[in-house]
Amino acid sequence: MGALDAQLVPAVDGVAYGLLLFVVAAGLSLAFGTAGVLNLAHGTLYAVGAYTGAELSDGTWGGLVLGLVAGTAAACAAGAVLSAATAPLARRGHLDQALLTFGLALIGGNLLVEGFGADEMPVRVPDALDTSVDLLGHRYPAYRLGFIVMAVALAAVGTWVLTRTRAGAAVRAAADDPEMLATTGLSPRVVHTGVLAAAGALAGAAGVLGAPIIGPGPSTGDTVLMLSLVVVVLGGLRSLWATLVAAIGVGEVQTLGVSVAPDWAPYLLFAAMAVVLILRSGRGLAEPHGPEHGADPPPDPAERLRRRLARVPWPWRPALAERRAKAAARTAAKAAAADGGGARTGSGRVAAAARAAAPLLALIAVLALLPTVLDAYSLSLAGYALALGLLAVSVTVVTGYAGLPTLGQTAPFAVGAYTTAKLAENDWTVGPVQVAISAVAAAAFCVVTGPAVIRARGTTVLMITVAVGELTAIAIGQWKSVTGGTDGLAGFPSTQAFWGGEPLFEELAIYQYAAVVVVCVVAVALVLLRSPAGKLLTGSREAEERMRASGHPVTRYLLVAYVGAGALAGAGGSLLIAVQSYVSPADVGFEIAALALLAAVIGGITSVIGALVGAGLIVYTRDWLAGSWPGHGPLLLGVLFVAAVYLLPRGLAGLVSGAPRAAAAGGGDDKGGHDAGEGGPAGRPGGAGRLPAPRSPADAGPPEPADAGSPVRVRKGPT
Amino acid sequence: MLRISGLSAGYHGGTVLHDLDLDVPEGSVHAVVGHNGAGKTTLVHTVAGLLRPATGTVEVAGRDVTGRPAHRIARAGVGLVPQGRRVFARLTVAEHIRLAHRPPRAAGGARPWTPQRVLDLLPRLGERSTHRGTDLSGGEQQMLALARALLGSPRVLLLDEPTEGLAPVLVGQILDLVGTLAGEGLAVLLVSPSPASAAQCADTVTVLTSGRVTARLDGPAVRKDPAELHEAMALTAH
Repeated sequence: MGALDAQLVPAVDGVAYGLLLFVVAAGLSLAFGTAGVLNLAHGTLYAVGAYTGAELSDGTWGGLVLGLVAGTAAACAAGAVLSAATAPLARRGHLDQALLTFGLALIGGNLLVEGFGADEMPVRVPDALDTSVDLLGHRYPAYRLGFIVMAVALAAVGTWVLTRTRAGAAVRAAADDPEMLATTGLSPRVVHTGVLAAAGALAGAAGVLGAPIIGPGPSTGDTVLMLSLVVVVLGGLRSLWATLVAAIGVGEVQTLGVSVAPDWAPYLLFAAMAVVLILRSGRGLAEPHGPEHGADPPPDPAERLRRRLARVPWPWRPALAERRAKAAARTAAKAAAADGGGARTGSGRVAAAARAAAPLLALIAVLALLPTVLDAYSLSLAGYALALGLLAVSVTVVTGYAGLPTLGQTAPFAVGAYTTAKLAENDWTVGPVQVAISAVAAAAFCVVTGPAVIRARGTTVLMITVAVGELTAIAIGQWKSVTGGTDGLAGFPSTQAFWGGEPLFEELAIYQYAAVVVVCVVAVALVLLRSPAGKLLTGSREAEERMRASGHPVTRYLLVAYVGAGALAGAGGSLLIAVQSYVSPADVGFEIAALALLAAVIGGITSVIGALVGAGLIVYTRDWLAGSWPGHGPLLLGVLFVAAVYLLPRGLAGLVSGAPRAAAAGGGDDKGGHDAGEGGPAGRPGGAGRLPAPRSPADAGPPEPADAGSPVRVRKGPT
Repeated sequence: MLRISGLSAGYHGGTVLHDLDLDVPEGSVHAVVGHNGAGKTTLVHTVAGLLRPATGTVEVAGRDVTGRPAHRIARAGVGLVPQGRRVFARLTVAEHIRLAHRPPRAAGGARPWTPQRVLDLLPRLGERSTHRGTDLSGGEQQMLALARALLGSPRVLLLDEPTEGLAPVLVGQILDLVGTLAGEGLAVLLVSPSPASAAQCADTVTVLTSGRVTARLDGPAVRKDPAELHEAMALTAH
């Protein structure tokens, strides 16, 4: 009884915290379930409310009410803006929308810091509530009890609207079958906008009222987003009650858990999330009908603009007909070469090999030229970009080739980085040895985590990998004796490029070492991805059922791909150490995971070289460009995210292979996609986008041949 | 009431319907029959606005609705009973009725449909009002899909294989119902792979083959002597 009594305050705190999360997470869950938008800017909407509330709070009731009205309205408007921004991408699937919202979150977060300062803002609750009351013999802040009442009221009103009103029925109908909702005369688009606006309003109201609990500060958005994601995953999208239970559970872990078992509480959330997802992965996290399938809406404006631009006869661009003729000739030549078999001429073979190696040769040429144009500082950034690039390549393999969208490759990246750091601490400073051991360690890590990841499909994978990444980051933060905790590791000897070599200090030497490692690793990856093994992977991504039916152990292929990608990430982690000579949890956190995914997406999701270029672009934007406009790194990155999603639906690889191919339409036999060179499909004929929405078996149409010219498809759970 | 002219439509890259003309006057049933893949559902979806036509026009009650979004077409007076019913899994029967009920904007000639009137027509739904869509039997789901379409007080009713998978006795009921509805002034476009059921209540029968009209027959004549229709279907088998 005594123990129970001592924990009463944190337990009640947990209820308040949980209710706060419920109000926020309900909006997130609703937006995902109804509009199919995985809104990574949801935490930012909370922050909008929290900042507004804090700014207007002056210790009076009037201030609170004013703040509530203004904060709710602001967040509601922001939600409507998000809806308008994501609507054009509805047909492209969840990943593009998620990336867009992440970009908008970065921009929004930066603007909030700009407007309200980088410090946590104090909040003044109304004086009448700024006292403590007696709660079973304990002093307890009156505001928190008041908050519990207000949050219950908010949750009750929301639940009532959703379950008892016609508008609520429309929302649930939109989640079920947007087309059928349209045939009853209601616009699914309007319902989606309404849901996102309402979700924003809820988050904003929660932000204003909850500001004294999770206060406004630079990290508010991220904290709230992460916790809400956990709640949504644990609650499972289906029932509000389950979401409520999950929210209270998470709230208790954050308060009671920290009070009872401070060492274990941090793991508990993401471990619970991972366990729930893995147990559910057979059914999947109820994948919503996000994109309005079938209902051929007008093509999205960005796509229309790009098509129009593609038709403009730019002087430097060969005429369309000429390009098509060339492509046709190439295809014919390939076919002839294939038919010729043994009779293939020597020069033909050389030409084919040269073509196959062209992207790699181009990469080598660019990497070799960079030191002549960059100064020392930029060169060190380029070295960092190479390390991030390997991480992005690893994401490309998992997301683009294996079809499992991932935000968790930072975990093997971290394993690689810390392995190299520990090796260096023990005077194992030879570079190739560091890279090899780190890659093996990361691969071993993936052997352990793989089974949890590869069983799921679609957005569930995204969530599981977030959990894997976060758990790894938390473990690194907690395991101070080995990892140095949040301070990280530093002060170990520098890497040598080879046995008996000089330790690498000079930027140029470090860059050269990184470039050589990247070229070697990427060459290996390209050879493997283009081999028959790579084709098997593509096949199992495109037509998993069919591959299984043909006797292919798809799960094993996926595991191999995941482990291989882990090794790539591990090598990248090792490079990170060689390049920057220290590592901390911030180097392997969620933001880096999102950046790596963006790099892969910018590159064209199946383009290895594209991923490296994407990573370069990101580092250039975040570190170099932001250097000339200090404090605006996140803003610039956010703009990059938004621009990449809108303007490059098929990534850089899509630009290289040329938009006109989209007009070629038709089946998946357009092998011209290979000519982009990066060993993978450059894009989807018909402009269906880089990651089309998961197709249901019903509309999958005739099975396409399992070749690499087919569209990239995010896996979906069995239906 | 429903006038389709020169309609072509299809999916990514392929045209399914070619230059189709069709007219459904007020108070009549126009049946479109054809084998699998003939383009029947494509036709219905194009009219309902779920698919944008490539060329041609669709007019409802004299208004051109070509290329409008589905909800606008619904409001212009088109009700759809889709293939496979597609009732909302998570909504109860009562919620379906509440959601779908939409008083007609302009006073049409026909009496508007109210929840009460629909329940009088389909009393079974009244008994099941607290059940969710997926908890209903196939026949009940069909009734619910019909109720959902009627509650918008449409002037054109599109029925996509409404008798699919139903017991013979229910098939008869549904077809009788279709006749009744047409008798009240609705223009009904009924799509079916089965010539027999289509002919049972149709005023006109159109045979669709690979997206093209290959025969157009008079309903009463077909009922008297189905041979001609069967011949038209058989001819177009491949």
